Amino acid sequence: MKFRMKFPLSALATMTLAALLAACGGAAKEAAVAPGKIVFALQSEPDGYDPGITNNSFASPFMTQLFEGLVTYDAKGEIVPGNAESWTISPDGKTYAFKLRKGLKWSNGKPLTAKDYVYSLLRVLDPKTGARYADMLTVYIVGAEEYYAGTGPKDAVAVKAVDDLTLQITLKEPAPYYLGILAMWVYSPVYQEAVEASPERWTMDPATFISNGPFKVASMKLGEGVVLQKNENYWNAASVKLSEINFRFILEPATALSAFEKGEIDGFREVPASDIPRLRTGSDSLHILPAFGTTFYDVNTTKKPYSDARVRKALALALDRDELIDNVLQAPSTPTLALVAPGYVFGGADFTAAHAKYGFSSKADVEGARKLLAEAGYPDGKGFPVLELSYYTNATVKKMVEAMQQMWEKNLGIKVKIKVQDWAIYYADIQALNYDVGAMGWGGDYLHPMTFLQLFTSNSTNNLVGYKNPEYDDLIAKTIVETDPAKAVELMHRAEDIFVRDQPVISLYSRSNTIMMAPHVKNWALTALANLYFKDAYVEKK
Amino acid sequence: MAWYVAKRVATMFATLFAVVLLTFMLMHSIPGGPFTAERKLPDAVEQALVKKYNLDAPLHEQFIDYVRGLLVFDLGPSFKYEGRSVNEFIAEGFPLSSRLGLMSIVFILFLALPLGCVSAIKSGKWQDLLIMFLATLGITIPSFVIATALMYLFSYRLGWLPVFGVSSVKGYVLPVIALSGYSLAFITRLMRSSLLEVMGQDYIRTARAKGLSETAVLVKHAMRNALLPVVTILGPTLASLLTGSFVIEKIFALPGMGIHFVTSIANRDYTAIMGITIFYATILVAMVFIVDIFYVMIDPRIKLQ
Repeated sequence: MKFRMKFPLSALATMTLAALLAACGGAAKEAAVAPGKIVFALQSEPDGYDPGITNNSFASPFMTQLFEGLVTYDAKGEIVPGNAESWTISPDGKTYAFKLRKGLKWSNGKPLTAKDYVYSLLRVLDPKTGARYADMLTVYIVGAEEYYAGTGPKDAVAVKAVDDLTLQITLKEPAPYYLGILAMWVYSPVYQEAVEASPERWTMDPATFISNGPFKVASMKLGEGVVLQKNENYWNAASVKLSEINFRFILEPATALSAFEKGEIDGFREVPASDIPRLRTGSDSLHILPAFGTTFYDVNTTKKPYSDARVRKALALALDRDELIDNVLQAPSTPTLALVAPGYVFGGADFTAAHAKYGFSSKADVEGARKLLAEAGYPDGKGFPVLELSYYTNATVKKMVEAMQQMWEKNLGIKVKIKVQDWAIYYADIQALNYDVGAMGWGGDYLHPMTFLQLFTSNSTNNLVGYKNPEYDDLIAKTIVETDPAKAVELMHRAEDIFVRDQPVISLYSRSNTIMMAPHVKNWALTALANLYFKDAYVEKK
Repeated sequence: MAWYVAKRVATMFATLFAVVLLTFMLMHSIPGGPFTAERKLPDAVEQALVKKYNLDAPLHEQFIDYVRGLLVFDLGPSFKYEGRSVNEFIAEGFPLSSRLGLMSIVFILFLALPLGCVSAIKSGKWQDLLIMFLATLGITIPSFVIATALMYLFSYRLGWLPVFGVSSVKGYVLPVIALSGYSLAFITRLMRSSLLEVMGQDYIRTARAKGLSETAVLVKHAMRNALLPVVTILGPTLASLLTGSFVIEKIFALPGMGIHFVTSIANRDYTAIMGITIFYATILVAMVFIVDIFYVMIDPRIKLQ
């Protein structure tokens, strides 16, 4: 059942009191399911609704419904034309020319042109905007880094409106995965007039919250929810069938599940892990979809004995991933010892098909692990310092580290101490390399192996393990300038080989996304990048 | 009286200033900052944000800035939620939280005082034992257990009440009961022990000896004195009920302000931490002050000085 705890006796006390107050009657519903309308619960309020500013994953459902960039994703998770009808890439792979659809409009009916894109991207590059994803522009676009740093002129940023329907972007390097970057919401257009009238608060009022996607904001209430309605000015409005989406914030997953089972809401994300086994057998609403993300544990490669790759490898091999996934995580996921998650297909094969050559087992290789540990100078774990396994306050991660502790102590003969902190303190410690082993992971920003592989270059912002390997850096640098996709794939495979050899992190599994959606809601899409799309969804009449 | 009030108001402001200063110092001494989010920001981006929110100014300057805003009731912009102000957090959350809190306090008083009296009068009898048994459970069982159990029974199993939200009046029932649980039990016990103590005193025996009816003894003589400890505890209880509960608001998905007590700290949302703490502290000192005034009305022996 949903609540594992026994029904407490004390409830008798409160029940009697409740009986005094509770007027009996039929089930009250916050929102009745109506044709074309859905109520979807979100676990947290995003830190902002401005596509140029936020990088918060909780903003994703709003960004994908409210905005559309030059390119977008289809239900299969493939990049398709969005506001741009077509585009050409110059032979050197550096210059992109986008042809916008004719007659694009904002949700207020005003025309949307290439100039709006220029304004929007330059706004992201203004440090005063406070754009969290600014590096998605500065790293790639000519002149962007200099303008952001205040050392270069605005004119030098290579984002140009050739005419109202043509936008040209010039890159520093022919990054073969740039279309994926371009599909990120930081590249969404924003409506200049509304933004300039109220730079900080234009997204706080439905009247000024102008957007260009399949939906627009109808009403919003702080802490409670945001109601979207169909945007009749969307270029493809004819295919949008939902008239209203009510995004309601329900912070407690158990409450969302109860509300779902009572029909008060039509769907929600983040299904409580402990309920997944029950729902998998008994519910027609649970969907578990592959995610382009990997859960791994950071290992401090700058600290003895973890600076020794054999030690890191021993730790990686001593874990039984099957058991961790089946008994602890309880949601189907793909065990891995490599980095890149499945999902990127090139030449008919998934990038991760090559992982077979590493000869991984999802079971623990106790012998192999012990041998490596002995080679590193710790036979049977003797002389190995107490390993501090850190994590952040989270129920699932807690169970995970406890299982890992047991496996390492039993299989390697070492002592493991668990340390828990709240996220802000934990993350500060990780960034300061003040840890041994710590829970971490990565959800891809774009559907390309580089979203993972770039993490572990020497100068990467999110390389929090102190890993530095010039050979690895070199391969990544070569991939960024490679215009031939086949060669790029080859280079990335070589980089991942080095990663697996050096094992700077201990990978556990490739993630999955869980979602509950009532069967009467059809044709929604949750992509591997964890973005939820309702642009083609509809409610089937019951 | 006027002199007393003036003195008390001055103390209240001094207390609040101490709260502001201490919270500010403690907050800045814990690791992590408002921009510690899901992933590490590139240095250039983080610097731009620090500059945008003036976090690169020396601490004492930030403090003076903050207090200056405080004097005109401006609690500043949230550092975590783009475009939101802390004033808004309170303006949007407090009405609901205080409505729940007021309902709870009424519920508590209507039940706790009679139950406590019955328990004291029937001391040792089955009525007393039953009430004390329930009250002990009410104190020991955390509110999230009460809340989930209530939701499970009345919303999930019986379907009488909505699982979440307060879009209908029915939505208030479970949150109010769950919110009241602890204080209800506590005040019942307090009322009982306080009344028992008073009933054993000499002046009650005198009253009985005069031939007063038991009801007159209880209502006219005993209750008044027995209420003093209850009134004392009512101040802080009311302050905490009015400002909302993180647990109850989270479980029933209520957009109140209680949620900010915990999330603002987890987010290191500096201005929100300050604003919410100051707001709570203000209500608390005000309640304590009101309670002190009430003392005089209940017990003429107490003189304000």
